[in-house]
Amino acid sequence: MKRMFKSSMIVAAAAALSLAGCSQSGGPSQAGETPKDNGGQKTEQQQAKVKLTMGSWRTEDRDAYEKIIKEFNKQNPNIEIAFNPTKNTEYNTVLNTALQTGSGPDIIQLRPYAAGIALADAGYLEPLDGVKGLDQFSKETLSAATGKDGKVYGIPTVFSSTQIFYNKKLFAKFGIQEPKTWDELLKAADTLKQNKIAPFAFGSKEGWILSLTHGALGPQIYGGTDFVKNITSGKTNFKSKEFTDSIAMMQGLAKYFPDNYSGVSMDDMRNMFVTEQAGMMVMGDWEIAVMKKMNPDLDMDVFPVPPQKADGKASVTTWVDGSYAVNAKSAHKAEAMKFIEFMTTKEFGTLVANELMKPSTIPGVEAKDPLVTKISKYANSISTPYMMVVHFAAGNPTTKATLETSMQGMYLNKLTPEQVADEVQKSADSWFKPAAK
Amino acid sequence: MSQGTALERKMKRQPGAWSWKNSFIHLFPIPALAVYALFIVYPIAAAFSYSLYDWKGLQKGDFIGIGNFVKLFTVEPFNGLFWNAFGHNWYYFALEMIVQNGIAFALAYIIFSKVKGAELFKIAYFLPRLLSVIVVGFLWKLMLNPNYGLVNVTLKKLGLDTWTRPWLGDPETALTSIVLANCWFGIGFSVLIFLAGLQSISQEVLEAARIDGVRGFRMIRSMIVPMMMQSVVIITVFTFIHAFEAFELVYAMQGSQGEPYHSTDTLAVFFYRIAFGGSTGDSVAIGLGSALAVVLFFIIATLSALFMFYVRKKEMDH
Repeated sequence: MKRMFKSSMIVAAAAALSLAGCSQSGGPSQAGETPKDNGGQKTEQQQAKVKLTMGSWRTEDRDAYEKIIKEFNKQNPNIEIAFNPTKNTEYNTVLNTALQTGSGPDIIQLRPYAAGIALADAGYLEPLDGVKGLDQFSKETLSAATGKDGKVYGIPTVFSSTQIFYNKKLFAKFGIQEPKTWDELLKAADTLKQNKIAPFAFGSKEGWILSLTHGALGPQIYGGTDFVKNITSGKTNFKSKEFTDSIAMMQGLAKYFPDNYSGVSMDDMRNMFVTEQAGMMVMGDWEIAVMKKMNPDLDMDVFPVPPQKADGKASVTTWVDGSYAVNAKSAHKAEAMKFIEFMTTKEFGTLVANELMKPSTIPGVEAKDPLVTKISKYANSISTPYMMVVHFAAGNPTTKATLETSMQGMYLNKLTPEQVADEVQKSADSWFKPAAK
Repeated sequence: MSQGTALERKMKRQPGAWSWKNSFIHLFPIPALAVYALFIVYPIAAAFSYSLYDWKGLQKGDFIGIGNFVKLFTVEPFNGLFWNAFGHNWYYFALEMIVQNGIAFALAYIIFSKVKGAELFKIAYFLPRLLSVIVVGFLWKLMLNPNYGLVNVTLKKLGLDTWTRPWLGDPETALTSIVLANCWFGIGFSVLIFLAGLQSISQEVLEAARIDGVRGFRMIRSMIVPMMMQSVVIITVFTFIHAFEAFELVYAMQGSQGEPYHSTDTLAVFFYRIAFGGSTGDSVAIGLGSALAVVLFFIIATLSALFMFYVRKKEMDH
């Protein structure tokens, strides 16, 4: 029944999209026909008015994008853009069906990495190589929407970024400085523990917290971006000493976790942190808004994950949260490109950072919120990719999910770090083909 | 005389005789049958056919026969996870039979023995059932919270600090906690069925037994239970089906991974995970998921049928 309903919904959605497509192409010519006696200039202007649609899975971004489009219209009054998001879980299906029938929105929000790239490889998207402002993004950032042919098909807009949040008040109370090395981080944790404050708000009840925390802290142990390059090219694997060490590091941190952490969920973690029962929390930027709502007086700040040696580089872990692309079948590619170009400007980056409260992919953006500005700065300078999301979120169960479950097993004393690494490699072997092999 | 012939004619026509009126009646079940076919028969048949194909995401690929079934039972990690979840379903069933139905029978018997305010108790026991399973899961999650949940806080107040544990985070206690929450939720329904069974027993027979000197536990064992066997069978089959379909509460309390470390995984949760994957729709395996659904369907259908057959046979022997 569910399938029947689903497929009928898809047909309905496809029909709606194709109808929308018809009305777009019909729009301008009709406008040109009617007001014949209104004087030449006005007719010309109306003729030039083009309607574009914009697809996305983020229904919650509607207000922000309407504001952004209004700003865009100040310079481009003749391009009308309708932001038409689809429900998160239905978006892929609706979009794929529409694209297969030759319709779909003019501007498309792409899922980051594999799913979005698949659309580019299938020829549904317009390459964006000529777009001004593309060169300011790092290759790593653009890889979220780079096709097999090496061409870029999407403009990344925001990052998701993980770093360490800390309670400024508690740090000041116990005389702790922002840690600059791994040892200082452990020392800070020791000090907090001695003062009966949980060093890290952490729980292993929900698997995704485990891969997220490992994704943030692990790079300093396994060697960050270089290791990711080596593993994706087949030069090393998860059984290597570097990776196993990073899992063992996670096990070693257990003494800094709160009581009963195996039963602690995300809600409990957040609760602990905002009620000042914990000093630090390894977490993503998206929690800022939630935590501020829960305790507006919370004096928190962030620092990047410190390096093992004083001369090393601190890091934050990032992944692109979606990119915007142009539909190859769009009737108004030139106009859509104008909006895509706008998306590479600092003006757009600032709007995004202020309206969505997310770190912008555009370097040097200043947001109203100092935390967002700080995280944007880190994300654009010292980031390393979230390996499990960027490269290993495939397979069934996914390699990412395998890491989560087996680390859960490790914290329950059922697996050793070596066995965790083994499980992860086994999962990767079931589907992953290194690029260089 | 004319009356006689009319009656004769009518009597001749009645059995098996064809008439418009009679055959028209057979058309009435068609709407119901159509609905049944569309919503019950078709999905089962569709799941069966899906399980025979290789799927690329949501797109049907090549016909691979029993390939998905072979994969389910021979390829790591699927085979290990299947037997792990299968065992949990049996545990679910056993614990529900003992705790939920045991207590439910006792409560039903007490109500049946004409306690004051019996109606009130009946409603009170049934109340949890009116809550949505998601709400029940949420409430129990709060109560079992390791650091501020009612259960651990109470234990600490009583000085039983060593008894506190992360109930839902410890693989030793997680599944039991969930099943017990489910018992709390389901007890009212069992009480109602048992009560109906008790009330259907003829009072005269019980009275006669009492006069013959049958009392207490012997009364229950040799008189009451055999006479309400129908209710016991219904409850057993319901509990069995429910235990093997167990999904909502596990999902509400532990998510789709059967956390921690697959210690609360059931076949239905395992099915959900392989068929629908993560929230972004990645790694869906419709074929493998359908294969598991077919296996689950056969387990429930076969075992329920065998049990009913066994009970019928016993009844006949009596």
